[in-house]
Amino acid sequence: MKNASRGRGENPVISFLTSIRLAIFLLITLAVTSIVGTVIPQGEPLQFYLERYGDTAFRLIHVLDLDNTYGSWWFVGLLILFSVNLIACTLKRLPHTLALYRKDSLEVDLDRLIRSSMKRSWETANGTDEIKRAKAIFAKAAGKAVGRDGVDGGHLLLAETGKWSYWGLYILHSSILVILFGAIIGTFFGFKGNLLLFEGEATDRVMSRDGQREIPLGFQVRCNDFFLDFYENGAPKEYRSDLSIYQNGTEVLSRSIRVNSPLSYDGITFYQSSYQAVPEVTIRVTSTDGLHKSLTIPAFEKIPWQEARLVFGILQYLPNVHGAPAARIAVSNEKGQIDAIWLVPGREKDLRFDGKDLRFTLEKAHMRYMTGLQVKKDPGVWIVWLGCTALIFGFVIVFWVPHRRIWLWCGERDGKTVVLLAGQSNKNQIQFEKDFARVEDALDRELGAMK
Amino acid sequence: MTLTSSYLLSLTTFAYLAAAFLYLVLWVFRVRKVGVLATIVTVGGFSLQTAGIILRWIESYQLGYGHAPLSNLYESLVFFSWVTILVYLVLEWRIRNRVIGAFATPFASLTMAYASFSPRVEDAIQPLIPALQSNWLIAHVVTCFLGYASFAVACGLGIMYLIRGDSREGDGILSSLPRKRVIDDLMHQTIIFGFLWLSIGIITGAVWANEAWGTYWSWDPKETWSLITWFVYAIALHARFVKGWTGNRIAYLSIIGFISVIFTYFGVNFLLSGLHSYGSQ
Repeated sequence: MKNASRGRGENPVISFLTSIRLAIFLLITLAVTSIVGTVIPQGEPLQFYLERYGDTAFRLIHVLDLDNTYGSWWFVGLLILFSVNLIACTLKRLPHTLALYRKDSLEVDLDRLIRSSMKRSWETANGTDEIKRAKAIFAKAAGKAVGRDGVDGGHLLLAETGKWSYWGLYILHSSILVILFGAIIGTFFGFKGNLLLFEGEATDRVMSRDGQREIPLGFQVRCNDFFLDFYENGAPKEYRSDLSIYQNGTEVLSRSIRVNSPLSYDGITFYQSSYQAVPEVTIRVTSTDGLHKSLTIPAFEKIPWQEARLVFGILQYLPNVHGAPAARIAVSNEKGQIDAIWLVPGREKDLRFDGKDLRFTLEKAHMRYMTGLQVKKDPGVWIVWLGCTALIFGFVIVFWVPHRRIWLWCGERDGKTVVLLAGQSNKNQIQFEKDFARVEDALDRELGAMK
Repeated sequence: MTLTSSYLLSLTTFAYLAAAFLYLVLWVFRVRKVGVLATIVTVGGFSLQTAGIILRWIESYQLGYGHAPLSNLYESLVFFSWVTILVYLVLEWRIRNRVIGAFATPFASLTMAYASFSPRVEDAIQPLIPALQSNWLIAHVVTCFLGYASFAVACGLGIMYLIRGDSREGDGILSSLPRKRVIDDLMHQTIIFGFLWLSIGIITGAVWANEAWGTYWSWDPKETWSLITWFVYAIALHARFVKGWTGNRIAYLSIIGFISVIFTYFGVNFLLSGLHSYGSQ
């Protein structure tokens, strides 16, 4: 098999692509190059590599895309070559397998049966009756049998199983192509994105994971609530978001999601992946000129108080100071003056700012949660699962489903009536020997221990 | 004192160390009775360990956590040694040769010793973090470790094959090892068995990752190293089938493959960072 193609003067490119040598070379190369991406951190900004590895190594990393090893031109190239090699090897072997599969196992002669690895023969004095019974016993012990007359002057019976197992190899190898195909479908027809939603907030678009583009969802997703729970030892116990889906303003689906329990709608799946806690305070401010107001200030925002011509914001927030939150509130005006004051709940505090006396009360201080969701659409995932299933079934067929043949020939030989039992299996010889012995014993009981 | 899982599992450590020692004695001095004793000690240790694992499972319920004991490094080490002994005992029972024990049981003993005595390995029962709260945990860990354990045994057989050399009967301690053809065939069968389970382990991991993070393959170091291991054994199977490699070359590949397994298991946790970091505590 190995070098058969060379002799016929085939195209050297084709014989290279169909060689098992290339397959083994590619397996080794994929194994070795895969190591690179586990040693060099992936997906960091370019600056990181320059600082960590220095100038020369950085250039190498940049040229070979080693910051994105598994998506680099050469790694994808290796995978393509691997797929081509797999297809080529498969096609090259196909005629051989077809021949094996089409070969009629009844198309044998007596010499071939005598040369089988497993065999046993009996001579019978009185032909027809015993032979009739022997055939019946054979059919019962060896399984469903087909017969043919006139094989070297006798009758041949055949019990055959697992002939189809030659295709296991193709199921196994094509499964890898199916998995790669599923991955390609997912890459081109799906997306991955991130989403941060405040409790009570809704959106109809997500940011792609690389941060390059906004993807419209085609519906609205709303985070109704976010829950966080810890074990006594401080380890996280549960992250949970209550989500609702709105289609044209009407709620169509409402569910809680947890880390291992996502929500799917219209081919898009939402996964609980992280959270952020953002403080929000409500303060009451009274000015000496008689004005007073309650203001709710979220983090990172500036809230104006029009009448007093003042602007407030959170400068610092401590969620737990001796059991109570504390917030440092910044106050500023149009002149560019700025001051800040620490507030704790239940205590009034005064601040003299721009000639006015201000009295502050912290009415409410709490954390607002933002849930962090992974959003994914992957129409190829079922193809990948199909490939994975085929891989396992193919593997089991290749290694554990044997092609077994047991023949029974009855006829005249050297003037005697002979019954010949022969068998062959292409794998799992030990089990086959046991099963063959069972048929042999059954026949032996009928035909006696004559040799 | 009350019977705790830690107590049972530390007893297991000593039982397995004793068994490994007895199998070595059997190999070197060829005393049949020692072999029987080695098997008895191994089976005894295995029973203790099984009881220990079940007890730990019950204890985790008593603590209010309630999860299978497969969630951190300590528990995975215990389970690895358990499966290794299981695979070995099945092998011993099927081929009726105890000398292989001298090459297989040390993996289990050393693993248990490391789990019990290393200050690096935390043996307290910990609650499951949200990422691990999944039914896939058991399927993923059990299938992966069936693969790992088979590869450990295959590596033991590979070492045995290499030191067996070409010595004939009566050449001293080497000749008491099984014939080379027998070792070679066993090594091949064990690799096939391990490869199937590693494949299923990788697939269950992918299904789980897709369920938890929305991506079935993210080239995280653990995933990548499991794939590298898969490649190594795929090479061994192809080289044997197509190129007819047997013997020494397959024995070396079986050892290289197991080194890759060890790196996938420990190296990734300690040397590289990634999604599987909970396996390192």
